[in-house]
Amino acid sequence: MDKKKILIIEDDLVLKNALEEFLTSEGFDVSFAIDGQTGVEKVISDKPDLVLLDIVLPKKDGYEVLKEVKENKETTHIPIVLLTNLGGVADVEKALELGATTYLIKADYKLNEVTQKIKEILNIK
Amino acid sequence: MYLHKFRKWAYEGLNLKKQAEDLNISVWQSPGFLFIVMGLIIIAAMWGIYFALKNYDSPNVLVISESSVVVMFLTIGSFVISSIEQVARANKMKTEFVSIASHQLKTPIAEINWQIELLLSKFPGGLSEKQQLLIGQIAHSSQKMARLVDDLLDVARIDQGRLALAKEEVDLCTLVNEAIINQRPFSIVSGVELKSSCPVTSSKILVDKKRIGVVLDNLLSNAIKYTERQGVVEVFMETKESSVQVCIRDNGVGIPRNEQSDIFKKFFRSNNSLKNNADGTGLGLYIAKNIIEQSGGKLWFQSIENIGSEFFFSLPTVKS
Repeated sequence: MDKKKILIIEDDLVLKNALEEFLTSEGFDVSFAIDGQTGVEKVISDKPDLVLLDIVLPKKDGYEVLKEVKENKETTHIPIVLLTNLGGVADVEKALELGATTYLIKADYKLNEVTQKIKEILNIK
Repeated sequence: MYLHKFRKWAYEGLNLKKQAEDLNISVWQSPGFLFIVMGLIIIAAMWGIYFALKNYDSPNVLVISESSVVVMFLTIGSFVISSIEQVARANKMKTEFVSIASHQLKTPIAEINWQIELLLSKFPGGLSEKQQLLIGQIAHSSQKMARLVDDLLDVARIDQGRLALAKEEVDLCTLVNEAIINQRPFSIVSGVELKSSCPVTSSKILVDKKRIGVVLDNLLSNAIKYTERQGVVEVFMETKESSVQVCIRDNGVGIPRNEQSDIFKKFFRSNNSLKNNADGTGLGLYIAKNIIEQSGGKLWFQSIENIGSEFFFSLPTVKS
């Protein structure tokens, strides 16, 4: 079975490396982008199965990335999980209104729990 | 160029909706709107003075009166509007600070937690038992830090009146049972027996499930902390006509009478907590009280030193 492709859009390299290592060991094909602009470009070019998206990013923030991806007919179907430490109700509501599949606070979720969420969304057992 | 500047000023000055959004206030509180109101008041005052003085045969009196009114209203009005704008900007900065602080403080916590999880899950064979124990202690410290950050941010939001509750219909008995499960390991380590009973009738409430969970965890962990080994902590629920009441009773050290009026204050820690070397920041009860009150309920207690304490909270039930 083909590995599912996950794109991580995250500017914190420590967090990105931890996610990449864990998800790779769980059988995913992982790529990443270090800023919002590159993130949008990679979503359009690579068409990943799922995107893990931070909000506070250089060049283009997560909300702008989310909006652009969801407005593009070729990428609107791709589930986007917001993975951030911004936890205000307004932040969550804004993300869900823009089309995020779900919203996870990094400090509150273990890597294993993030992986389980990804598997639920992609219907993987 | 001056025309362009004037247009830009007029657009920005009169773009009330944008002003209101920038300052996180409603349109009628925006400086632009208040200036318009002030202008209308000045015009009305000038008209009033004109009609009051038109029978006087001295144009100087009219001019001086009109000028005085305009200067007075402009001075006082500008001062008031400027103050309102400064307060709005300060409030907005506080809100942004909480958001930025939350993000900046939680990021290194997430980094620590995920590195530890990788170490323990992906390299267990390569770590000695002692190393795994030390890493477990680092993880525990990181969780304490995360709770402290959450508490401090909740206190900041409460002080700004911005503690948002995401309400949903839940069964309080389910929440109580979940909290008991969470606190069971702590009660075992502390040598304290933990008991609970739920009423036969359902107890549906409309609350923020996560926040009420925090309240229950806080009250239970306090009860366990301040109860000696072989003591008992019991949780009772009672359904009343339009509310449900929870009581958390312990036979622990109790709260000294002279400290009871301070128990819900920020950062307050009873002398008993210091004697018993109990962990805590003194924020839990302050936050718990605010959550319960914002959920439409009440939180109160009774306590006798060296006998024990009972903490009660009630919440309105959902009408079926």
